[in-house]
Amino acid sequence: MIDRETLLEVFDIAERRRAERRRFLRMAGTAVAATAGASLLAACDDDDDKYAPPATPTPTPAPGAGLPAGDVDILNFALNLEYLEANYYSFAAFGSGLNATLQTGTGQQGAVTGGAKVGFATDAVAAYAREIAADENQHVLFLRQQLGSAAVAQPAINIDGGANGAFTAAARSAGVVGPTGTFNPYENEENWLLGGMLLSDVGVTAYKGSASLISSKVILDAAAGILAVEAYHSGLLRTLLYRKGLTMPLLRPNAGRISDSRDVIDNPVESDEGIGPVTINGGAASNIVQADGDGIVFGRSAGDVLNVAYLNAGAATSGGFFPAGVNGTIKASTAG
Amino acid sequence: MSHDVSPIDALAAHAEQRNDRRAFFKAAVGAAAVGAGAFLVSNPAQAQTLTDADILNFALNLEYLEANFYYYAVYGRGIPEASITGVGTPVAATGGTLRVFDDRLLGEMAREIAEDELAHVNFLRKALGSAAVAQPAIDLSVSPTSAFSRAAQAATLVPADTAFDPYASDLNFLYGAFLFEDVGVTAYKGASGLLSSKTYIDAAAGILAAEAYHASMIRTTIDQLGGNAGLKASTIRGDTELVSTARDSLDGASDLDQGIAYVTSGAGPTSNIVPTDANGIAFGRTTGQVLNIVYLNKAQVTSGGFFPAGVNGTIRSSANNA
Repeated sequence: MIDRETLLEVFDIAERRRAERRRFLRMAGTAVAATAGASLLAACDDDDDKYAPPATPTPTPAPGAGLPAGDVDILNFALNLEYLEANYYSFAAFGSGLNATLQTGTGQQGAVTGGAKVGFATDAVAAYAREIAADENQHVLFLRQQLGSAAVAQPAINIDGGANGAFTAAARSAGVVGPTGTFNPYENEENWLLGGMLLSDVGVTAYKGSASLISSKVILDAAAGILAVEAYHSGLLRTLLYRKGLTMPLLRPNAGRISDSRDVIDNPVESDEGIGPVTINGGAASNIVQADGDGIVFGRSAGDVLNVAYLNAGAATSGGFFPAGVNGTIKASTAG
Repeated sequence: MSHDVSPIDALAAHAEQRNDRRAFFKAAVGAAAVGAGAFLVSNPAQAQTLTDADILNFALNLEYLEANFYYYAVYGRGIPEASITGVGTPVAATGGTLRVFDDRLLGEMAREIAEDELAHVNFLRKALGSAAVAQPAIDLSVSPTSAFSRAAQAATLVPADTAFDPYASDLNFLYGAFLFEDVGVTAYKGASGLLSSKTYIDAAAGILAAEAYHASMIRTTIDQLGGNAGLKASTIRGDTELVSTARDSLDGASDLDQGIAYVTSGAGPTSNIVPTDANGIAFGRTTGQVLNIVYLNKAQVTSGGFFPAGVNGTIRSSANNA
């Protein structure tokens, strides 16, 4: 029942967001038309149909439309990550996880361990949490629709904030807490930001890494759109950490520690980045974007993503946030 | 809580149905959208002949614009001369000025973004080699008839015939950045389906992500100021909706743009840092739609707004939405 309510809340948010926006646009459109002196928009007042239901910007195939097998594997891999993110953010924002009807599929369905509503100290961060939760739930829905009956089930997920939780294991290995310390991402909004950064940055690199492996142009277009959304999320979390870091001196170093530990665990190449500050042309600069020297955000192979998700630098098929492994054909992390 | 779950079941089913219906509509228009939606130029005949180099050059023009905007703010000058040469006659960007940021962190973020955007310019130039287009004329000036002023007038941020200077205050700078950043995201998102080379798809995906990070930095920072009074609307968040609406009015009937105004749901106020469609997916724009915005013209033209002499390369015409 709680699950259903969460789903409704998520739909509620998504629907209201669009409805509110449409209403706002109608009003704003009127205001703009009234100032017809603005030459740019002078020709706008004739398109009353401007706010009619538009052609969608995201081409979407019918479910089960015969996706290439490789694309099915990639989307299912992504779906596992979205299950993880959707549950983390839904618990934090609403106090409950992904709706039960959205957990079914092929492979072994598993339960979520842990998760709790965060007592956000600031209204803005609570609002961000709701937004991200709604987006991640939509991603789960969208991927499941694309995959149809080929969609994998939600695997067992550990997002526990206790001593045996995956977050604590990650935080210990990163040095955010001591070897016997506990890291609870639901304890306060700063911890939630760090936990979110841990997951969302990886989501960005996972979608980036898979973009060039997707065959279907339609799926590529959608995946690019999800990649962008994950980057917006990551940018949001990292910007807040950077800003809060001005008065909370541990936050920026801790973000750096999380980055460093991801970097150690995924592969020998140094690519993961903390949030700065760094020096550019003699001046202090933030490092919100995880970009290389070409200004290009780096990607991870599926195996490297699983190294981080399993919290295991070696070849493994389970662990960390996925105690029984992910579902689907792409399930092994890489050695080295 | 009632044990009678049927009303909730019904509502949930309704919600899923609504979603299915949405998916159906998407699928129904998808056939057209696949042909017309993914960064394709408005002219189908032209779409046949587009090469990856054409698309990368199109992106390069946008990066020239963004890089110069930020470079001026941070360093008081345009990007280095060595980064603007190429096919055509290079023209230095004009009209920008140094911004001494009141908010130190905003200055640090502007410095980061300036570096990223120059890196994008240099990366695309490197990828294109001798085929890279030169930097076209770029208008960053602040007179009442400048591109920024006309954009701000169209958004009603300032009255008609009034100057808008994006370098005059931190807030103005954020609005200027806001104007560009989401457009960059939609341009690269649209590009992803058009490129042929896997190498370029990979690189473009990484630039897309960087642009989304930038947009998020700007939108988040605006939101942190959000409750304060805006230039026109009662709040800064309301102002972003005006800018978004102005962009949206240029690029055709599709609703491809969102400001950061909050919405209220049963769960509480919800932010809108990420502009997304019903599936939680970021928007894309065709090249023609992108040019509508940077030319500040809803008609099919080849120059105007921030590019007074048009962009360089084969993709130079905005879409006809007049």
